[in-house]
Amino acid sequence: MQPVRMFCWHFMAYPHLPEDFDENNDSGWVTVPNKLWDGEKSRGLYQEYLGQLAYADELGFDGMVLNEHHQNIYGLMPSPNILASALTQITKNGKIVVLGNLPPLFLNPMRVAEEYAMLDNMSDGRLIAGFAVGGGPEAFNYNVPSPQGRRRLWEAIDLIVKSWTDDGPFAHEGPCYPMRYVNIWPKPLQKPHPEVWVPGSRSVESMGEVAKRGYCYFLSSRSHGGGTRMAAKEFAGVMKDHGKTYTPFKMGVLLSVYVAETDEQARAESEEGIFYFLRNCLKGHLRKQGRSMTFGPGVPSQSLRSWEAFLDASRAAAGGDLLGDAKDWEDLESKNSIMVGSPETVRKKLWEFVEDAKVGNLLIQFQFGNMKDELARKSMKLFAEQVMPAMRRDSADLFAKDFPMLEEMEAAE
Amino acid sequence: MSLRDLNVQGRNIQIYEGGEGTPLLYLHGIADMHGLSDEKTNLIDLLEKNYRIIAPAMPGCVGSEEDNSLENIDDLRFHTLEVMDELGLEKVNIVGNCVGGWLGAELSVNNPERVDKLVLAGASGLFVSGEQIGDLFMAVQPLNGTIDDVRHMLFDDGNGELAGEWIPDQLAGKSQGMLRYKIFRCIARFGFKPPYFYDPKLIERLHRFKGKSLIIWGERDQFVPMRHAEAYEKGIPNSSSQIIEGCGHAVNLEAPQQVSDLISEFFG
Repeated sequence: MQPVRMFCWHFMAYPHLPEDFDENNDSGWVTVPNKLWDGEKSRGLYQEYLGQLAYADELGFDGMVLNEHHQNIYGLMPSPNILASALTQITKNGKIVVLGNLPPLFLNPMRVAEEYAMLDNMSDGRLIAGFAVGGGPEAFNYNVPSPQGRRRLWEAIDLIVKSWTDDGPFAHEGPCYPMRYVNIWPKPLQKPHPEVWVPGSRSVESMGEVAKRGYCYFLSSRSHGGGTRMAAKEFAGVMKDHGKTYTPFKMGVLLSVYVAETDEQARAESEEGIFYFLRNCLKGHLRKQGRSMTFGPGVPSQSLRSWEAFLDASRAAAGGDLLGDAKDWEDLESKNSIMVGSPETVRKKLWEFVEDAKVGNLLIQFQFGNMKDELARKSMKLFAEQVMPAMRRDSADLFAKDFPMLEEMEAAE
Repeated sequence: MSLRDLNVQGRNIQIYEGGEGTPLLYLHGIADMHGLSDEKTNLIDLLEKNYRIIAPAMPGCVGSEEDNSLENIDDLRFHTLEVMDELGLEKVNIVGNCVGGWLGAELSVNNPERVDKLVLAGASGLFVSGEQIGDLFMAVQPLNGTIDDVRHMLFDDGNGELAGEWIPDQLAGKSQGMLRYKIFRCIARFGFKPPYFYDPKLIERLHRFKGKSLIIWGERDQFVPMRHAEAYEKGIPNSSSQIIEGCGHAVNLEAPQQVSDLISEFFG
């Protein structure tokens, strides 16, 4: 039986901010002055981050995850496909998950179809193709009017998948991307096409679009524990409404983990990097302090219904603290958003999570902010050697018990 | 405030109507009735004493249905022509405020046979080099939990009572929070993508409208700089402008009596 899949997620943060960054800047996104980029200090940075992902492949992770962000210090991956391209050559086994390209930012989504097809061939069929609409910062950076984003996204996804599966040339009528000749070369290697993942933050609309196409829903809001269980339940319900069967592998979730020899050591080693990530990288994104750019009336991508739900939730939560608002270590621990500790502690926390949420794709961030290479690698190694095996063993049993149809589905494949 | 529903090409649009006299088609803005508020403004109260006010809410605002096919100002112009057809307004006087002013200018230039006289207040719509229209979308995103920036962009006294009443912080009231989201979602459809709140070709086409026009502007408008008033006046042949001292962008709210007097004087 298929056990839980564990992927190594990377943001590729800019790690060389001055210590007073938080005091002097409203945001780590869009308007963050690029005079702060230190070219000399950053020499070798991409090599270091790519090296960590290649190491994840050596350690036996199920895959490596890249993502697309623009004009920010949170993630230096304006073009994840360039990094994915490098990964095709320095990794051998794991899936290469690009989560995702942002089709509404492209003039023509065929470019995404082509690049993904190239990556699938270059990696010998290891691509997982993610597509996202882009957040508020991308709306500001790339001038994408938020209310139109989703419409463009879904037309683009359908067109891209069709370009992979149907023989060309064929014409596409639009309305967003009318085209006379859709006829891509190369076609992807995987048949019928690479797995498609789409992130969402629990809006019913997105869940419905993902469910009816049978794609994998990736929960991008880090609502751990109960929040993920609820989302999985909602998504399973939406899939059922569309005549599809939910399995744990139809869903993915982003987690943040740091493992060291003991609980004390784990905190001591990770605290600086984690708070660099929370205070600086999340400023402008998931933090109330500073300029909030991720959602709001200025980037109104949510439907009216979703916005109403958001207002209700924020008012109920008395101000609605976000991940980046954690005041100190204790506050962070109480939010249960980042799992830090000895292999035993992390195993326990992660197992509780899997048992509760029953989500099959765990996308795990190991490197935080300015965390040093050796620490990120050590944490990954301890995880791979002392957490992963138990997770694989126990989750296979759990999923087999709770999702008996998985066996049939696997046999059918 | 009583509103009625109008079926416009299968979509429900809310219309406010009140007062007696010559009809004025009122095209609303952001800090306005149908925008950030679902109540009638003092300006409308004053105008109703002399005119019949007809004010449709843009698609997605207050109770008007959203239109996902709305992608640019031309779409909004055609929608408004449909509204005018439904209302039987063959040729009408227009008062357009803020983005409603831009819409009024587009109608006047493209469909001059449908527009009698035109009043624009703090209208976006033009490109004036070096005089950028403010980034309202960034300003409305909370900074350290407050949206002071948007209050300062739309009101001369951003710290004042009027600004606070119209634009409280996000969590202050759900109904206001929803109205704000609705108007911003509406204007993002035609104003977010560059050009930001303008049509680069409009300025060269203004001469096509020969009707009498009045341009009203707040002296200290921080959203659409006052130089845009000059550009409108220069571009529309039969026009004059009136600058209201001590006012920001929201002249309709900050100086309703003065604006009403100017309009009454203009239409006679």
